[in-house]
Amino acid sequence: MIGFFSWTWVFDHLDDIWNRTVEHLLLTVIAVTVGLFISFVLAAYVLRTRRAYGPVTLATGILYSIPSLALFAFLVPVTGLSILTAEIGLVSYTLLILVRNIVAGIDGVPGPVLEAAAGMGYTRRQMFFGVQLPLALPVIIAGLRIAAVTTIGLVTVTALIGLGGLGFFILRGLSLFVSPVGTTQIIVGTVMSVFLALAVDFALVGAQRLLTPWARSKEAV
Amino acid sequence: MFKSRPLGVLVVTVALVAAACSSDSGEIDGPTIKIGSANFSESALVAEIYAQALEAEGYSVDRKLNIGSREIYKPALESGELDLLPEYIGTMLTFLGGEASSDSAATHSALQAAWEPEGISILDFAPAQDKNGLVVTKATAEELGVSRTSDLANFNGTLVFGGPPECPNREFCLIGLQSLYGLDFLEFKPLDVGGPITVTALESGEIDVALLFTSSGVILAKEFVLLEDDKGLQPAENLAPAVRTEILDAYGDRFANVLNAVSSVLTTTELIALNKAVEVDGEDPDKVAADWLDALGLS
Amino acid sequence: MIEFLGEVVAWFADPAHWTGVNGIPNRLWEHTQITVLATSLAVLVAIPPAVVLGHRKRGGTFVVGAVNIFRAVPSFGIVVLALPITVALGLGFGFWPTFLALLFLAIPPMFTNTYTGVAGVDSDVVEAARGMGMTERQIMTGVEVPAASPIILAAVRVAAVQVVATATLGAVVAWGGLGRYIIDGFAIQDGVLVFAGALLVAGLALVTEVGMSYLERAIVPDSLQTAGNEVAGIAV
Repeated sequence: MIGFFSWTWVFDHLDDIWNRTVEHLLLTVIAVTVGLFISFVLAAYVLRTRRAYGPVTLATGILYSIPSLALFAFLVPVTGLSILTAEIGLVSYTLLILVRNIVAGIDGVPGPVLEAAAGMGYTRRQMFFGVQLPLALPVIIAGLRIAAVTTIGLVTVTALIGLGGLGFFILRGLSLFVSPVGTTQIIVGTVMSVFLALAVDFALVGAQRLLTPWARSKEAV
Repeated sequence: MFKSRPLGVLVVTVALVAAACSSDSGEIDGPTIKIGSANFSESALVAEIYAQALEAEGYSVDRKLNIGSREIYKPALESGELDLLPEYIGTMLTFLGGEASSDSAATHSALQAAWEPEGISILDFAPAQDKNGLVVTKATAEELGVSRTSDLANFNGTLVFGGPPECPNREFCLIGLQSLYGLDFLEFKPLDVGGPITVTALESGEIDVALLFTSSGVILAKEFVLLEDDKGLQPAENLAPAVRTEILDAYGDRFANVLNAVSSVLTTTELIALNKAVEVDGEDPDKVAADWLDALGLS
Repeated sequence: MIEFLGEVVAWFADPAHWTGVNGIPNRLWEHTQITVLATSLAVLVAIPPAVVLGHRKRGGTFVVGAVNIFRAVPSFGIVVLALPITVALGLGFGFWPTFLALLFLAIPPMFTNTYTGVAGVDSDVVEAARGMGMTERQIMTGVEVPAASPIILAAVRVAAVQVVATATLGAVVAWGGLGRYIIDGFAIQDGVLVFAGALLVAGLALVTEVGMSYLERAIVPDSLQTAGNEVAGIAV
């Protein structure tokens, strides 16, 4: 193998790289958004019915432990080579961390703060949206960051069902790995995926700063 | 930058830009053609050729290449997740339960009849054929004194065979080799579909016999020996575009003509040369496809 | 549904699936072997330097940055990327690219969590130890590592489970292991095979998780036992 990386290929395929990056981002955004929504519903349920925490954690944990390959492979005969198949899988992997972090975040709001709010006449709803949620935000966003980065890694595996975003290049490169054209594609697919993950992580940290102005004076992790 | 723009607007902007940039704005109105391929380089290459030929005519195309095996992409084609892909008439006919023979025209007609009920049309077939082939290294051929597939029966139980993971399920792979040739291998190693892993395994001696393809660019280049299919296991395997009848009806003759023009000039010799450029010379398949179409005035 | 599960049970009951290279014992063995090897080597490579750096509290920003970057690396990409590397090195495909990829994925979380654990040991305790005349080395082995052991062992446990799950991708580069059932099953759309493979992997992951938990309980000093301390790791 002479030469591992072909800049020529990169410049010839800037369009494709861009398109696949966008595809990758869209698959991720859909998964995390839907996952967040479902997790909120589950978390709300758990916060109300404490006994459900065990079973919910168990169920989401089981989903999480299924190797991604198997989950996608299993869904294909049912939902085809579609975005739906990919998303069912991708969303499943976000639930464990998001439910856990939402519950932990809401639980982490100090009792005295809640009492003070109650004392000031906050209704339950006002308390949730005005006190608990904002204060739980850092922990929730921490979970969101992990979920997003994890999802971006998992999207590459969907190349095996005709999607993949940047994983498309990884798979294509696999069938051509003895030539620089192949290795370049594997590298581009992998490296761009990392960049995308770092960018999304950075964006979420930024969002956190935006949404929690009272915490700005402290060090954000 | 982030402080003045909520994340949501950012995402929507990206999505809009994506929509604008990603759709190959074809001049021809109609549904985007989703072109698929199996997960080996020749299939992806031919699919790319179809794609570029259609794009040159003004059609809008979406590539979904390297989709696993027939069990995976056939339902996808029938359900409309894919619209077009390159197929091999003999294996596909057998897959549908038909009888394939070495007569290309007969096999082709039979395939058309067999797949039509599922809403799939087969366009003209190309002269180019690509059959499964058992391959050994030159050294092995000399050492064992084999030149035909039936010769391998003398070494039953001693040879390691490497091929695609679906080989044990294929009429023209292990199933046929066992029933027609009476071959019995020491071990079957699932590798890739006639790709670089299989070639590497053969070269390094990790396997004794490999399943490659008769149109592979590697066989000549690496001085491998393609064992003769003396009992005629492999049927006619001409390449032909399989397309959803709905798409064919939507676009009409002009669409079919583009693909038929490509098929008419795709001979086995051409195919081997194309494969060699990608598999041996390491050229960019997208470029190889483009250059080939240019040279033939089809783009 | 019941019918399907019946087919899965039948698959497991079939004696043919328990013999040979592609039989359950062999694939289970391959999978376990690579997990043990990758996890053990990662422990040897990651933990000692992390202890030293954590003790000296050197390189903190690098560690924080590294956590993020390595968490962002897609396992699929690394497994496939390792292939041309190992082939070029003459190590071939199959085992070596899978093994290298697993190392690459297991080392960072072990390193960063060990660093964080050791660096986070109460400085008063460390000072007291210093005051008692302990050498730096004694402090590391006698105070910091035991104190950080819950975090370190949790990281090893999480990494080991990750390795079990990620090793399934090895089938893509023609390795064996339990991923073989999943990839081969997917190739011929045999849902029973895929499910059986997934079940075996999940089972192995569970055994690994439980086994390592017992190990933790045995090793970690009683006063520091924490119940199920979850450490954020990299997922497949």
